[in-house]
Amino acid sequence: MFLDDEIASTKTRQNEARWGMYLALAALAACILMFIGLMTQASAQTPDAKPQQMAGYVRPNDMGTGALLFPSKEPGYFVEAPRLATDVQIDVNGPIMRTRVTQRFENPSKGWVEGTYVFPLPEDSAVDTLRMQIGDRFIEGQIKPRQAAREIYEQAKAEGKKAALLEQQRPNIFTNQVANIGPGETVVVQIEYQSAVRQSNGLYSLRFPMVVAPRYNPQPIVQTVDLDSRTGYAVSDPVPDREKIGAPVLDPKANAKINPVTLTVNLKAGFPLGDVKSAYHAVDIANLDDLSRRVTLKGDSVPADRDFELTWKAIEGKSPYAGLFRETIGGKTYLLSFVTPPAAAEANAKPVKREVVFVIDNSGSMAGPSMEQAKESLALAISRLKLEDRFNVIRFDDTMSVHFPELVEATPDKREDAIAYVRGLTADGGTEMLPALEAALRTQGPVQAGALRQVVFLTDGAIGNETQLFEEIQKNRGDARVFTVGIGSTPNSHFMTKAAEYGRGTFTLIGSESEVAARMGELFTKLESPAMTDIAASFEGASAGDITPNPMPDLYRGEPVVLTAELDGTQPQGKLQILGKAGDQPWRVEMDIAKASAGQGIAKLWARRKIDDLEASASTIADPATLDKRIETVALAHHLVSRVTSLVAVDATPSRPASENLSETKLPLNLPAGWDFGKVFGEEPAGNAPGKVDERDAALESRTKLAMVTADRMLAAPTARAAGLLAEANNQVALPQTATEADRQILIGLMLLAFALLAGTTFVFWRAPIAAVVNAGVRRRGR
Amino acid sequence: MAADNETPEPHQGFLARLSAAETIVLAIIALIALAGLLLIGKGFYMKAKAEVSQVLLKRTFEAQLHGNPDGKPWPWADFQTAAEISAPRINRSAIVLEGASGEALAFGPAWLTTTPLPGNEGTSVIAAHRDTHFRWLKDVNPGDLLVLTRKDGRRFLFRAGESRVARWDESGINASASGHHLALATCWPFDAIEQGPMRYIVDAELIGEQRPVPLTTGSISK
Repeated sequence: MFLDDEIASTKTRQNEARWGMYLALAALAACILMFIGLMTQASAQTPDAKPQQMAGYVRPNDMGTGALLFPSKEPGYFVEAPRLATDVQIDVNGPIMRTRVTQRFENPSKGWVEGTYVFPLPEDSAVDTLRMQIGDRFIEGQIKPRQAAREIYEQAKAEGKKAALLEQQRPNIFTNQVANIGPGETVVVQIEYQSAVRQSNGLYSLRFPMVVAPRYNPQPIVQTVDLDSRTGYAVSDPVPDREKIGAPVLDPKANAKINPVTLTVNLKAGFPLGDVKSAYHAVDIANLDDLSRRVTLKGDSVPADRDFELTWKAIEGKSPYAGLFRETIGGKTYLLSFVTPPAAAEANAKPVKREVVFVIDNSGSMAGPSMEQAKESLALAISRLKLEDRFNVIRFDDTMSVHFPELVEATPDKREDAIAYVRGLTADGGTEMLPALEAALRTQGPVQAGALRQVVFLTDGAIGNETQLFEEIQKNRGDARVFTVGIGSTPNSHFMTKAAEYGRGTFTLIGSESEVAARMGELFTKLESPAMTDIAASFEGASAGDITPNPMPDLYRGEPVVLTAELDGTQPQGKLQILGKAGDQPWRVEMDIAKASAGQGIAKLWARRKIDDLEASASTIADPATLDKRIETVALAHHLVSRVTSLVAVDATPSRPASENLSETKLPLNLPAGWDFGKVFGEEPAGNAPGKVDERDAALESRTKLAMVTADRMLAAPTARAAGLLAEANNQVALPQTATEADRQILIGLMLLAFALLAGTTFVFWRAPIAAVVNAGVRRRGR
Repeated sequence: MAADNETPEPHQGFLARLSAAETIVLAIIALIALAGLLLIGKGFYMKAKAEVSQVLLKRTFEAQLHGNPDGKPWPWADFQTAAEISAPRINRSAIVLEGASGEALAFGPAWLTTTPLPGNEGTSVIAAHRDTHFRWLKDVNPGDLLVLTRKDGRRFLFRAGESRVARWDESGINASASGHHLALATCWPFDAIEQGPMRYIVDAELIGEQRPVPLTTGSISK
């Protein structure tokens, strides 16, 4: 090398070079140190910004089971009122079940509070009854339009009266606000709701939410906060896969003692019963006769951190494949019918080849956690594809691109390729959905024989041209099914429900990152099972009825068609006809209406489904007020809580004579007819086996301890009025992040430039000496 | 470009005289310089985007006030304008967008849709970036007049109160509180370079509505 001569010529220069080298190294080290400092400072800052879950404090959206919450001293957080007892009674009557939940709570503080009772329910439940006992007052809820109900409640609250207001926050989350709970008072809440028994593959099941809230959860839980403008609460769907929470909840054994739960299921299946099982809880099952059972939780059973689930089956060969029930209310007949398509029709529709087109929205409105959820969901979906499937990925913002030129076989490397592509997407730009939709529906070539074309759309639905998109789906869907996946905390559900309906697919809502796996799993099962399609129901010879759901959705393996209908007159005649297609094979069922057996609660189920249908048709009704009015009419007629109607209860007739002094009697003696609070009261230890006494003492002790802790953390007010104000003050608005990274990026950029300049200068001036040192080193090692 | 900074071409054939190792070192230096320039560019792009979008938004908003509700600031915009807020004393104004989802904050201050519309009963909240649209928030003094023009043409006058600093999740703002209030929020401290949990909040109270819509800020008509 040409530098070698120079090195050889002088030793002093080598020395100089060493010094130069040290200087350059020092400069480099200083620069690196500065960078590290900058980075660590930034990352140390981030955990701070997350909300902290404090032990003992909860937020309304943490609740997995019914709970009464009081405002806490920590702004924005609540404490759970000690739950003294819970009683659940579920009456199953054929395909319908009615659940009554009675819970007793206590205000352990020395002041007045306004409590909020939060309870999650199954998606299709029709809530119609609310009864409460606060101290010595009994109140029963009346159904009212939402706004009117709130006004009544607010007024009662201001006047210092006892009042309760039950509102629907989401189709499956309800809150009940209770005003003016006095010091040390006991609150008993009873709600009743109607729902349909779930059927699948001849297996019948019911589910009751019983998860103990993660009260002692040290892990910070980060949630997207979606505040409801009216209540100020952020309420979101409960996390579906409880195991994932994995938090050290209250030890169930200890919890059972301070929070006893009794649960009874009166099971009248309407057919000879075979297996009856509870998946997660120990139960006693009493055989009443062939058709009915009584199921109770075992005495020492504890409420595990799982929902209660009961499944039952008919004895072999006696499984009903169809049923028709009727109820007559207010001069109208309500029908409930279910039919399981014959297994033969399913058998010839084996798991088929699928052709899946994934469409992902990476527009600016998706920026942040939404985009992460979308990417994760899509990566999961792609990885589930089988070798014989074909697929493609389309992304869109205001531009769009199709990843593969045409549908490709889902070989491992193609899947890897697509996943890498998806992971690299960033959210930016506007939302132009139409071109992407066109590309997905029109340009992916013809459907191969025997294949099932599916279009899976992942978006938050922030678009304006809904009608245009619906038209596109209706005109060009062909044989394809359009499945929509709603991403983020507030996706445009109306658009996506409707789009899926026009596309004869389903809508899946993913509210938070922790839901991705579970919800996508449900969707995959649907995507991978063949479907019974084009189902339609009609009446032959009967006056045209109002059938819900309308239109009928596709069926997946083992699912029955379940429909409810409203007919004029009390004695309708004629036939109910259901048509469908399993693959290419037509399928048809007829049932004689006159032969329907009597059932209860069908009208309420019909009303609940009618409301769902109305909500889903939002896009076709131009005026939202008209829609609200229609829902209100149905809900008021059937005494149901809905988005636009609430149950409000204000200090109804004190149910005892005024002369009687009640404040001293702790337990109510004469409950009004139809009120059954007995189960949550009166658990005197007298007459117990001696061995059990210790346990009870221990239970009492831990209960007192818990009550004290709660009282300590509660924000109680000296008067009823102040309690209302305190509760108000707790409804805070969370502010968004309002700093861009621009300044930081410019600063880092400048530092990088400075570093490069420094290094460059060093290099130019000390080039020869550095090279000398390097070369010397090399030569020494060479020897 | 970047490499020119460090290699000012002292003599001809400078690059040619470098050994392989030296070329690599030089390339790394050039890459670092390039990364620096890109970052600076990106930062300035964000700021430029904020400024330019406001100009476009202003034009759209004027059109909306004059009865052209469908106008979009640019063809692919996926948000709605809600109002214009101005502080006459320090001569600043900005167009407020509807909802703080996704990227909306990059283009302008956002009215949080979970709070009532500004001017309505309750406390409405408008938030914006401290380093772009609400850089001027620290100059708003107690007693300053804030003028808010809504999309529907109604114009409200607010009087700014004391400012305070709070954590983002302990804002103390109750959207359904009685009275007509407006809260302007941005990140705090103003000169920090990291994103932090603290917010700077200016509370303002409604003092009146200006009836007709002449496009100048006049006196208070109560």
